[in-house]
Amino acid sequence: MGNNVNRMKWVSAFCSLTVATAVFAGCGKNSDESAGDSGKTGGDSGPVKITVMADLQTTEVPSDKIEKLLEEKTNAQFDIQWVPDGSYDEKFQAAFATGSLPQVVYLKNSASFVLLRDAIKNGQFWEIGPYLKDYPNLKNLNPQILKNTEVGGKIYTLYQERQPARSGLIYRKDWADKLGIPAPKTVDDLYNMLKKFKEADLAGGGKTIPLADRNDLVYGSFKTLSMYFGTPNNWGIQDGKLVPDFMTKGYMDTMKFMKKLRDEGLINQDFPVTSKTDQQNLMYTGRSGAYIGTMGDVKTMQEKTEKNVPGAVFDVTNEIAGVNGKPVTWGLSGYGTLIVFPKSSIKTEAELKKILGVMDQFYAADVANLLKYGVEGEHYTMKDGKVLPVSDSKLIEKEVRPYLNMALADTTNVKPSYYTMPVAEKANTLSNNAEKFMITDPTASLDSKTYNEKGARLQEQIKDATYQFIMGKIDEAGFQAAVKKWQNDGGQKIIDEFNESYKSSGGK
Amino acid sequence: MNNTALQGSPGAALRPKSGRWKRMVRNRYIYLMILPGLLYFILFKYIPMFGLIISFQDYQPYKGIMGSDWVGLEHFRRLFTDSEFWVIFKNTLVVFVVNIVFYFPVPIILAVMLNEVANSYFKRIVQTIVYVPHFLSWVIIVSISFVMLTMDGGIINELLAYFGFEPINFLMSSAWFRPIYVLQVIWREAGWGTIVYLAAMAAIDPGLYEAARMDGAGRFQQIWHITLPGIRTVVIVLLILKIGSVLDTSFEHIYLLLNSMNKNVAEILDTFVYTAGLKQGQFSFSTAVGLFKSVIGLILVMFSNWLAKKFGEEGIY
Amino acid sequence: MVQDKTFASRMFDFFNVLLLAAVALLMLLPFLHVVMGSFTTTEELARKPFVLIPTEFTLDAYRYILSTNTIFRALAVSIGITLAGTLISMILTSFMAYGLTRRDLDGRKTINLMIVFTMLFNGGMIPTFLVVKNLGLIDTYMAMILPSAISAFNLIILRSFFQGLPDGLEESAKIDGCGDFGILFKIVLPLSLPSLATISLFYAVTYWNSYFSAIMYINDAGKWPIQVLLRQIVIAASGMAADTTNEFIKPPEQTIKMAVIVVSTVPILIVYPFLQKYFAKGALVGSVKG
Repeated sequence: MGNNVNRMKWVSAFCSLTVATAVFAGCGKNSDESAGDSGKTGGDSGPVKITVMADLQTTEVPSDKIEKLLEEKTNAQFDIQWVPDGSYDEKFQAAFATGSLPQVVYLKNSASFVLLRDAIKNGQFWEIGPYLKDYPNLKNLNPQILKNTEVGGKIYTLYQERQPARSGLIYRKDWADKLGIPAPKTVDDLYNMLKKFKEADLAGGGKTIPLADRNDLVYGSFKTLSMYFGTPNNWGIQDGKLVPDFMTKGYMDTMKFMKKLRDEGLINQDFPVTSKTDQQNLMYTGRSGAYIGTMGDVKTMQEKTEKNVPGAVFDVTNEIAGVNGKPVTWGLSGYGTLIVFPKSSIKTEAELKKILGVMDQFYAADVANLLKYGVEGEHYTMKDGKVLPVSDSKLIEKEVRPYLNMALADTTNVKPSYYTMPVAEKANTLSNNAEKFMITDPTASLDSKTYNEKGARLQEQIKDATYQFIMGKIDEAGFQAAVKKWQNDGGQKIIDEFNESYKSSGGK
Repeated sequence: MNNTALQGSPGAALRPKSGRWKRMVRNRYIYLMILPGLLYFILFKYIPMFGLIISFQDYQPYKGIMGSDWVGLEHFRRLFTDSEFWVIFKNTLVVFVVNIVFYFPVPIILAVMLNEVANSYFKRIVQTIVYVPHFLSWVIIVSISFVMLTMDGGIINELLAYFGFEPINFLMSSAWFRPIYVLQVIWREAGWGTIVYLAAMAAIDPGLYEAARMDGAGRFQQIWHITLPGIRTVVIVLLILKIGSVLDTSFEHIYLLLNSMNKNVAEILDTFVYTAGLKQGQFSFSTAVGLFKSVIGLILVMFSNWLAKKFGEEGIY
Repeated sequence: MVQDKTFASRMFDFFNVLLLAAVALLMLLPFLHVVMGSFTTTEELARKPFVLIPTEFTLDAYRYILSTNTIFRALAVSIGITLAGTLISMILTSFMAYGLTRRDLDGRKTINLMIVFTMLFNGGMIPTFLVVKNLGLIDTYMAMILPSAISAFNLIILRSFFQGLPDGLEESAKIDGCGDFGILFKIVLPLSLPSLATISLFYAVTYWNSYFSAIMYINDAGKWPIQVLLRQIVIAASGMAADTTNEFIKPPEQTIKMAVIVVSTVPILIVYPFLQKYFAKGALVGSVKG
């Protein structure tokens, strides 16, 4: 008893010591943590000083050769903070929470954007929409892509161009030729091709796994296949209202199809837990004959597979028909990542305008080519009017490659790439073509409070139910029960909120 | 030595209230000794602990801690009313128990075995080898396990097929999750865990063994009566520490093993927080769940510490 | 230890060694696979999931890693932090651990409880970041050492070891006129070599593996420790690069990941055999007379 009283005395002494030290430590707060000058522009004619946070995906920070050239061309002085990709989100959060973000901040990828919605709505970032028309290149930005980045109907970001529809089918053409199978044009064609692959067992030893898939419902096979069954892209309009894809017939048909593939041994049994590396290995070792994913991967696939399996030849296609007989595929929002402009580091409108002036040039041919390819003569040569990189890949990795993440233009105003491999060029052409028949997600620019809060967790439930159905653990009724649970746990609110947002934004 | 029949700390009798000031002055150098450490804990552990406040707020990074709204117990309510909460909580506790019951004794046994080896050359080599797995990250270990266990040509299933058995779906079944989990933990950590025990065994007086041998004790008896009691204190301390930390570890490991098929046994509080909270930037919620976990851990530690003292051991505080 | 020659004892030894050898093999194989995999070509790795003896020996993966200019710098940084950090940590920890063994210390139990508390409750990444920032440690090497200078876990274990020393030692030292610091340096530390070696190893490994503190507190790429560099290599190697229409993005090989593991763990693995001599038995023999 006496001991407890004594204990309390010690505890309170300890606490006061803690508080005292806290106050002391807090007194030393400096407010100048932003990397470099916070946008002090040296007079109107001097170069614009810009601080940047960029994602580093190479092993080292690049030499400053390109940076200097960039500064020349844009009449700006850059202070680039390269943050390793592996911890980009954490660094971003820390900088954000301590008010030390630089002026131009690249998001890690489109997924990070969702996390900022709230902050954006609360005025933490500049709305740049009204200013775009004042700049030669910014005013020509693709309005559809811009719309996809809107928050509350306003534009806050500049986008990094990316081909939106790159998924398709990569398959062993030599296998298909041997068995007399033409390029699949429908899902049934695909199914028959897989079946014939298995029967012919061209990998030998009964080890053939026709389709190699991995643990990703979006970037693996599932989503692309779902398009062919008439499923919308994430959300679609049914009877004038938005519904999620998993509540449509097409989704159920896709699940049944995949279940069939698995039951008949036409796909790797453990695909729900197979990593991308292991999936690609199945192709590289010649065990599998088909791969649904980014068609551009065919280049690496061809190079690696032919080392193990001489005579392996790949082909690509994305012109597989959906339920209305015409080719269909799904499209992303058209951007790879985005740039935001924090108010904590850009203090005045004048500053913002100067910075926008510099960013404007990122979309012009000069700077765009510099960031994507490097310097002509040093890093690449022109062949047939297309860009052919020099063979010293180390040089490119060290000097040019990191800037690719900073490049904003990918195809517009940019010199085309020279493809040494015809099928890789075909993949690129098909991807470009796909923009004509791709289906986009109508909720890209819409807002739902419940989705921001619980969307990810709720989506997990659907993902689980999807896999469980395919594995045969639950049946149709079981899946519908999971959907009902999704609705009750908050999903219905999401549906309602998106529909409201849809109506109020013009419901196109 | 210790008169643990006393209530309160054993040393309380050594610190009577009278003469306290004199005693503290006499011990002034001791206080000096612990001062740097104390400063460390205050600066880097206790001051940041104020961050736990956000468990009761709707924390937004741009508003800062002082500027964010208060929501009281909202996050806890959200946690406890989640339809999956009890399953997740149960899974977390089961993982905890599995760790204590199946993993914890292994390093001790291994250390005893190593301790008995006479040839120091062999002993050193084996010691170094067994602590190597600790350095492999969970990503590697899980991916190697994948290659061995997959139904698409993994070695284990191939062997089963060779002997005429049906292939087993190791990776996606609920039944296999816990065995595979604990085997991986043992494989990775058992060797590393022997280090502390071996250090403790080194401190045992060899004379005791000699005396036992002269009394005719066999190997097992020597182990039972000398080696194990000699490390008893360390074992208890580590056990209590493990109890306090088990709720914390394993996130990366389990996250890698988690999939839609084994979720009903594999999902623990940490993975739940990851999908429900962190991925959507919900700091407050994830901090609240962390706080809940810490409180449970604290209760467990206090209980086991009290239990240890009841049995005459020192405990960790 | 003198072995008795009875049959039972020898059987015990026999099976003991057999089992240990089996366990060692089990633990070694996967690591061996990683090491061997780092010396082989990607093609062979894709062909045979388990490579024990590579038929296509190559140093490509290592050449790639060593070709980055910054690797030697990063190695130096890591070694520096590990050495300095272990020293600082050991001083802080052993001082505090010894101080807390004194049973007549007022406030002892409270402090012990407070330490245990820190093992369970954690304020989080951002509050800790703020403290580091306000102490002016951002972008300094100390930022990778000080925030984790003392591990409560290690402290408690070391304290437990110190408490295991016979009380008689302290008393006789006091009688001889030794002050508190004297007891620590002349008696406690010399007799605690096994435990000091153990805890030093724990700290060394932690410092060697520093990644998160480097990421959070260091902006200057020149100060990166090796784990950051290695992880960047893995990211670049896994082809997570921005997939654009740019053709020349060549993701480096799978074997590079394995070489990275070897480079990041082998140095610290070498430390243990050197520490083993401190695990000599019977360090306490004859220390307490009567």
